[in-house]
Amino acid sequence: MIKTFNLTKLFQDRKRGKIRAVDDVNIECKPGEVFGLLGLNGAGKTTLMRLLSTVLMPTSGTAQVKGFDILTQSQEVKSSIGFLSSDTALYPRLTAGETVSYFGRLNGMEESAIDKRKEEIFKVFDMNWFKDQRVDKLSSGMKQKISLARTIIHNPEVLILDEPTLGLDVITSKNIIQFIRRSKEENKCILFSTHIMHEAEKLCDKIAIIHKGKVLTVGTLEELRAKTGLKDLDDVFVKFVKGENES
Amino acid sequence: MNLKKIKTIYLKEMKDTLRDRRTLISMLLIPILLFPLLIFGMTSLTLKMAQKTAERVSPVVFMGEGEAPNLFSMFKADTSFSIVQEKDYRLAIKDKRIMAAVEFSRDFEKRIRAGNSAQVKIYYDVAEIKSKMTSEKLGNILRVYQDSIVTERLKSHKVDRSLLQPVQIQKENLAPQEKMSGFFLSMFLPYLIMIMALTGAMYPAIDLTAGEKERGTMETLLVSPASRGEIATGKFLTVFTASLVTALVSTASMVITASTSISKFREIGEKVVFSINPISMLILFLLMLPYCCLASSVLLSLALYAKSYKEAQSYISPLLIVIILPAMASFLPGLELSVGIAFIPVINISLTLKQVLLGSYEWGYIGLIFLSTAVYAGFAVFVTRRLFEKEGVLFRT
Repeated sequence: MIKTFNLTKLFQDRKRGKIRAVDDVNIECKPGEVFGLLGLNGAGKTTLMRLLSTVLMPTSGTAQVKGFDILTQSQEVKSSIGFLSSDTALYPRLTAGETVSYFGRLNGMEESAIDKRKEEIFKVFDMNWFKDQRVDKLSSGMKQKISLARTIIHNPEVLILDEPTLGLDVITSKNIIQFIRRSKEENKCILFSTHIMHEAEKLCDKIAIIHKGKVLTVGTLEELRAKTGLKDLDDVFVKFVKGENES
Repeated sequence: MNLKKIKTIYLKEMKDTLRDRRTLISMLLIPILLFPLLIFGMTSLTLKMAQKTAERVSPVVFMGEGEAPNLFSMFKADTSFSIVQEKDYRLAIKDKRIMAAVEFSRDFEKRIRAGNSAQVKIYYDVAEIKSKMTSEKLGNILRVYQDSIVTERLKSHKVDRSLLQPVQIQKENLAPQEKMSGFFLSMFLPYLIMIMALTGAMYPAIDLTAGEKERGTMETLLVSPASRGEIATGKFLTVFTASLVTALVSTASMVITASTSISKFREIGEKVVFSINPISMLILFLLMLPYCCLASSVLLSLALYAKSYKEAQSYISPLLIVIILPAMASFLPGLELSVGIAFIPVINISLTLKQVLLGSYEWGYIGLIFLSTAVYAGFAVFVTRRLFEKEGVLFRT
C-alpha cells in the first residue's frame, strides 16, 4: 500500500546549508498493518509524511501509495489517503458538520454519500451533539474528533497520521489509539509517527527508527529487541540513535 | 481543473469570509456608511458653521469715531458688531477679547466732504480666522460707504457712473447638467472606488492565505484531493468577489448619498445635481472587472508569501500607498488620457473613469485600457497560481 524507493528530500537552509530532511528512505507498509515511525523532533518524520501525501515533492527517489506514484499521480494519491497531523487544523468559523461535508465534497463524494458516511462517523465518535456548533467554540478533544472525521470521510484505505496524539489529554489520546486499532481491523494501511514509545509499543506491527532523515532500522518490536538485546523500546531507540550519532 | 471542486472551494471560502467580522466591516459596512457620514457630516458642519458665523457678534473697538459720525452710524447699525471700549486695542486683539479695531483719521468726514481723501485703519490678526472674517465684514461696510461717496461726487460733476466701467463682463455656463453633476463625482469617485476595491479585498486575501498558514488550515486543504490550481482559483474568486462587491457597494452608496443630499447643498446655496447615466455605470462596472482582478491577485500573492497575518499586513501597507498615489490622478486638473498613460495601471482607470463620469466616452481609450488592465490582471493571476505551486512559499519557515 505504501512503498518508498530511495526517497530523498533536501532543504536549503540559510544558516545550516543543505539539510537532508529525508535521506534515501526505503520502507513498506502493507494493508492491515500499523507502521510506526519513531524519531526525535526534527528527525524527518513529518517531511517523510508530507512527501507521501504529495504536499512536498521529493528531491530524488519516489514512492507509491496504493500503487499510485507520488510524482505523477498526486491527485490519485491524495484521494487514497487520510492525512492527519498537528499541522492540519480546522476552519474555526465552520461548524463540525460543515467541515466534514466540505472535505467529503473535495474528495468528489455525492451529497447523499456524504450524509450517510457522516451519520456513521458521527455516531461512532459521539459527535452528533456538537455537529452544528462552530469549531472555534469547541474543546480540543471535540476538534480532534472532527479532524478524524474529516480524515476518514471518504473512507481512505491508507491513513497517514503524524503524531496524532500530540498535546492531547489522556481521554482524547485514548480515543485516537482506539481509532487506529479499529482502522487496522478494517484492513487499512496505517503509517503512524510518534515519539511516545509506549504508544508505538502498544500499536505498531512494524517500527522504523528515523534519525537525521535516515531510517536506522526497520522491524517488528521483537526483531528490534533481538537486534539490540534490550527489552524496553526506549532503550532500543536510544541505542540506535546513539550508535548513529557516534558513527 | 475540476469546476465542481473550484465551486466547492469558492462557496466554502465565501461562507467562511462572510462569517469574518473584519471582512464584513471592510466589505459592506464601511462602503455603506462612509459616504453618507462624510457627505452629511460635512454639509451639516458647513451649514452649522455658516449659521454660527451669521449669528456671531464680534466685539470691535472704534477710535476717532467722532471724526466720522455718518460712517460710524453705519457700523453701529450693523448688529454683527458690538462696540466696546479697550485701552490697549493691540493687546485686546492678541488676547481675543476683541476681533478688530477701527481707527478714523483726524477730520475724516470733513476731508471727505471737501472732496479730499481720508484714512481709516483696520487692525486685526490675520492668523485668527474670526478676526480675519470681522475685518472682511468691516471692509464690506467701508466699500459701501466709499461707493456712495464716489456716486455722489460723480453726480456733482455730472458724470455718468458707466464711464468708470467701460467693459461689462458677462459669464454664461454652457456645461450640460450631466457634466456639472459629474464634475464632483468625477473627481472623487474614481479615487474612492479604486481604494475601496482594494481595502475590501485586503482582509479576505490575508485571511485566505497567511491567515490559513497561521491557523494551520492551509496544510489541511493541501492534503485534500483539490489541486493547487483549483485551490488558487477558488481563493482568487472569493477575493475578487469581495473586491468587486466593495467597489459596487461604494459606488451605489456614494451616488445615492450624493443624490439625496442635493437639498442640503441647496440650503447652502450650491447648485449641484448628481446623476450617473446607465452607460457610465456600465463602463465603470466593465473597467472595475479587470482592476478588481489585478488588485485581488496582487493582494493574494503578497499575502500568500507571508507567514503570518501580521507579516502580510506589513507587505500590503506599502501597496496601499503605491495604489493611492496613482489613483489620485483624477484629482489632477491638467492630466489627460494619452496612449502612453493607457498602459500605466491604476492611473489609466482613474483618468478614464473621470472622463466617463463627465459624460465623455472615448471608446478607443476605454477599449485599450480595458485590454491593457486585463492583460496585467491575467499575468497577476498567472503569478498567483504559480506561487500556489511553490513549496518554498507555502511552507516558508
